[in-house]
Amino acid sequence: MVLKVFFPTCCSSAESGILIGRWISEQSSAVVLAVVHFPFIPVQVKQYLSHVQQVTKIKVSVLGSWSNSKREKEESLSKFLEDLGTIFAHEPWIQISKEGDSKFWSCSTLQKESNSSKEEEIILVYYDQRKVMLSQLHPPANTSTDPKADDASKLTAVFDTVANSKILFMTDKYDDGPVKLTHWQSDGVEASIIVELLKQASVPVCLLLTFLLSLTSVVCKSRMLKFWPLSFLWSKLSTCEQLGHRLQHLQIISSSKKAQNQTQLMRKANIFVSLLIDVALGILLMSWLYRKSRIGHLADTLIPVADHIAKELQDLLQWLMGAPAGLKMNRALDQVLGRFFLYHIHLWISYIHLMSPFIEMILWYVGLSACLGLTVALCILSDIIALLTFHIYCFYVYGARLYCLKVYGLSSLWRLFRGKKWNVLRQRVDSCSYDLDQLFIGTLLFTILLFLLPTTALYYLVFTLLRLLVVVVQGLIHLLVDLIDSLPLYSIILRFCRSYRLAAGVKFRVLEQKQGKPLRLLMQINPLSYGSLVQRYRLPTCSCYPKDSWTSLCRKLFFGELIYPWKHKGEKQD
Amino acid sequence: MAENQRTGAPLALRRRHHSASCRELAVRAPRLQLRALSTLTSAVWLAAYGLFVLCENSMVLSAAIFITLIGLIVYLHFVKVDQESLLIIGSLGIQVTSSYASGKESTTFIEMSQVKDVVINEAIHMQKIIYYLCILIRDPQDPQGVSEVVPLFQSSKPRLDCLIEVYKSCQEILQQRETAPQSSEIK
Amino acid sequence: MAAPAAAPARRRRRHTVCMVSDFFYPNMGGVESHVYQLSQCLVSRGHKVVVVTHAYGARRGVRYVTRGLKVYYLPLRVMYNESTATTLFHSLPLLRYIFVRERVAVVHAHSSFSAMAHDALFHAKTMGLRTVFTDHSLFGFADVSSVLTNKLLAVSLCDTNHIICVSYTSKENTVLRAALDPRIVSVIPNAVDPTDFTPDPSRRDESTVTVVVVSRLVYRKGIDLLGGIIPELCQKYPDLHFLVGGEGPKRIVLEEVRERYQLHDRVRLLGALEHQDVRNVLVQGHIFLNTSLTEAFCMAIVEAASCGLQVVSTRVGGIPEVLPEDLIILCEPSVKSLCDGLEKAIAQLRSGTLPSPETIHNKVKTFYTWRNVAERTEKVYEKVADEVVLSMSERINRLISHCGPVTGFIFAFFAVLNFLFLLFLRWMTPDSSIDVAIDATGPKGAWTKQCFPGKKEKVKEVLNS
Repeated sequence: MVLKVFFPTCCSSAESGILIGRWISEQSSAVVLAVVHFPFIPVQVKQYLSHVQQVTKIKVSVLGSWSNSKREKEESLSKFLEDLGTIFAHEPWIQISKEGDSKFWSCSTLQKESNSSKEEEIILVYYDQRKVMLSQLHPPANTSTDPKADDASKLTAVFDTVANSKILFMTDKYDDGPVKLTHWQSDGVEASIIVELLKQASVPVCLLLTFLLSLTSVVCKSRMLKFWPLSFLWSKLSTCEQLGHRLQHLQIISSSKKAQNQTQLMRKANIFVSLLIDVALGILLMSWLYRKSRIGHLADTLIPVADHIAKELQDLLQWLMGAPAGLKMNRALDQVLGRFFLYHIHLWISYIHLMSPFIEMILWYVGLSACLGLTVALCILSDIIALLTFHIYCFYVYGARLYCLKVYGLSSLWRLFRGKKWNVLRQRVDSCSYDLDQLFIGTLLFTILLFLLPTTALYYLVFTLLRLLVVVVQGLIHLLVDLIDSLPLYSIILRFCRSYRLAAGVKFRVLEQKQGKPLRLLMQINPLSYGSLVQRYRLPTCSCYPKDSWTSLCRKLFFGELIYPWKHKGEKQD
Repeated sequence: MAENQRTGAPLALRRRHHSASCRELAVRAPRLQLRALSTLTSAVWLAAYGLFVLCENSMVLSAAIFITLIGLIVYLHFVKVDQESLLIIGSLGIQVTSSYASGKESTTFIEMSQVKDVVINEAIHMQKIIYYLCILIRDPQDPQGVSEVVPLFQSSKPRLDCLIEVYKSCQEILQQRETAPQSSEIK
Repeated sequence: MAAPAAAPARRRRRHTVCMVSDFFYPNMGGVESHVYQLSQCLVSRGHKVVVVTHAYGARRGVRYVTRGLKVYYLPLRVMYNESTATTLFHSLPLLRYIFVRERVAVVHAHSSFSAMAHDALFHAKTMGLRTVFTDHSLFGFADVSSVLTNKLLAVSLCDTNHIICVSYTSKENTVLRAALDPRIVSVIPNAVDPTDFTPDPSRRDESTVTVVVVSRLVYRKGIDLLGGIIPELCQKYPDLHFLVGGEGPKRIVLEEVRERYQLHDRVRLLGALEHQDVRNVLVQGHIFLNTSLTEAFCMAIVEAASCGLQVVSTRVGGIPEVLPEDLIILCEPSVKSLCDGLEKAIAQLRSGTLPSPETIHNKVKTFYTWRNVAERTEKVYEKVADEVVLSMSERINRLISHCGPVTGFIFAFFAVLNFLFLLFLRWMTPDSSIDVAIDATGPKGAWTKQCFPGKKEKVKEVLNS
């Protein structure tokens, strides 16, 4: 088995001493954590190690000796180093020695019990102690993450060892302990004081927030708002859903429970940053809106636009009632349908005009909601669009219902023609013999339906296209809202600035070689790619997307089934 | 330490033996042809100029320059792979690196405990049937099963003779891994 | 002494054959098992065989089956009834790649229903390879669709080196349809593996009479006739049971019959059967019923007879040639005639005049063996290998002179286009830049000899799981 020695780069210039670290026997690899300098008293070293072991729960031991001789190799020293192996019993005893400024170290092992002279191959792997300690390893998602898989990879073991031995690194360079160590040391204690202060300050803020939140959630859950028409209304307005979503986020952030693991911590941070940015954008929008009385302009343009749309629709209906695109339609049905829809538009216009004096005020108040965040403002915009195009929705539903009825009637009568019928119990088509009367009536109905189909289909087509336009606009708004909601901004910033913090794995670089010396590798951290980062830390969003594929959407359109709002929770649509 | 080169048509296979259990195999694709690049660019610009003459809108010209620049950057950064290398370190793992023309490198390291085998397989790719080298990843639940297949040299697609050479090198190191635990058991 | 010495030398010759058909495992049927068994026998006789078919669901790419038989599942779009859509050109790049990398000498296409087989013939002729075609089905002459398919068949077969039919009726039919020279048409019947179909009288329920039907439930197999027979006979014989194996669009006919006459306990529908289960179904019955409306060579009745069943069948196509008179009761394809035939069989069964299953099996097992089929096919390959392939100009002349002025010119034009396309492909990826595939079988097979020390096999099958 090849022996692997993981050696921290910061220790490469340390003075001679002994190596302490962890021996992972099943992988035959040694993770060096620090170098203890000469002179030391063996008992104190052992005491220190057992202390570290108690705190960190990892088996830290003396692995071997390290000699860094500036001058010629001293015979007596090497003998002494070999003797050290008898004091700190370790199997195998690793001896690393560096001569002068040479990059190539010699490395050997001593097996005491089995005096096998077989020379084992040794690989020296250098690693950056600080980066490895701080990085969070992300194993590929597809390998099952069952907790009992402790045969886990050796890299995880190495990472865990370094990360858990934080206590070793707490001691300062200037501390006067019984043992002198060389390892990575943190510098920058001042900044951490500010962080500490902030931490202290955040506790009362969180408490206050929690209190307020619980108050609001109690109000929201009160019986008053649970009655049927209101709850139905809430579920249809995207603003309410977005507000509820944000409320949940706030609850998560302000909860006094400590995050159990890295993922939850990241999730909290992501939610916090996305909330912050959302509100900042919202306030930016608000400040833009309320300057130079832009609200008034907006209200003034809104009414003419609605009028204009109604006018266009009326023209469209007039066109449909004639001979659209030279098609000859069933005149009577055409007139009936056209009048029906025209009456609806008339109703709609009067409704808008009734509203017009209050529009500016409504907009002014609605604009205030932008301080809750850009997403809320966008959701309100989407709701307003939905309300303003309610007539189009109505037309679409009428058209779709009529068309659907005809298509189903035609398909069942077509079956009647062929002497078949739909067997409801077995969900299949059975053969069946019909009477003459039944066939006669069926044929009559079939003919009538067939000849009336083009008229209905045309109305259906036109209004479906209009409806689809509105749905696409709303969908785009919701897409934007979801993007802001779900983007893990904190993780992305972290990946950008401190790419080693989020590691997908490691990569090795082969360093210069020299004959007879051990193979030298440099272990670097391979940062997580942005794609997998977003995939892993994406925040869940509230809106429900249609589950249909494109083909099933087209099928639904063809058979005149309602496409949006899609049925969920078995609610009635119209 | 041995370093040799084997040139088959335009691809170059470079082998480097760092030590008995560490080997690096790199397949280098031909460099970007300046002639092809300039032909393409001038073709796009000529077409843009033709359009400009037709519709007399100078936006077309600036758009063409912009598009070629963006296209070139995207091509160099995400499409054009200069070199794909395979670093096998016995008892540690296999590292697959592909370096793009812009200098970007993407690296994946697969630990030896996950590697089941390295094999040559056949696949239908576009309108061709090619041999390719792939790493079989062991299924953690079922030691005999294969959970994933990682294809190697995806963009350079070397030919069979080159693949066989890489395969033999890989197998030599993989066999060390297989024999090592057995010998220790005997001992 | 010279002649016998030369003969074995001639027989030593190895062929590299590429079987092309849309129909192959995992689809089940006569053509599929024919291709598979023939390939296996040829492989064991030392030839190199590869099979090319289209992708079945997730089964795409290159696979190996028993004895290292290599199967290419090409990702071509399926149009109807597992047959690929054809534009006559789009499959050329892949097929050419396969023919070149496998160093194919003979292209053997199967089944006239398979568009891919015709495509492969067309491309192979363009590339100057030798071609063999096996026809597995019969066609009519009267209706419009038959006229069209017959024309296409004539185009496809007029310059094919050799044609194999499965029965004399089929040969007659093919020669007439495609206007062929009968000398290039051979008859090689299908075969069954008699060891797979052994009788087991203990599995029979002697208190009843069981009629077994095993076929795909489609129109061509006469399932509508079966729907007429079942109620009539069930009324007449209260101890008569039906056992139907197979799946298809006509299943609904049988289900309706079963419900209308309340025969749920007497008519059992088993659904789709795996090939290894067929024998277990067959041995449960006394009489085998085949109601096909058209059939070139009915393998099902041979399998049934090999299991020791009395066979009642329609007298259509090549069926009368398949079994001798004393093993089969032939009827006209009508409900009345089939009922009469079944009644006759039941009467014989009751009176005990039927021969025992063992004697029937021993008789049938000598008739059709795959070894025989493979030997005869080998002879066809021998013959074809000595022939010269038509050059491009000859081929165009043949097309124009043979297939009528309009069709001939159109297809001659297509052939030229195909040739130009081939030249373009050769320019894009020259033959020299295509890697030669490593053989699993054949004279230089990698699976039979150790190619690399230490490792068992070089190319492993990865995806097959």
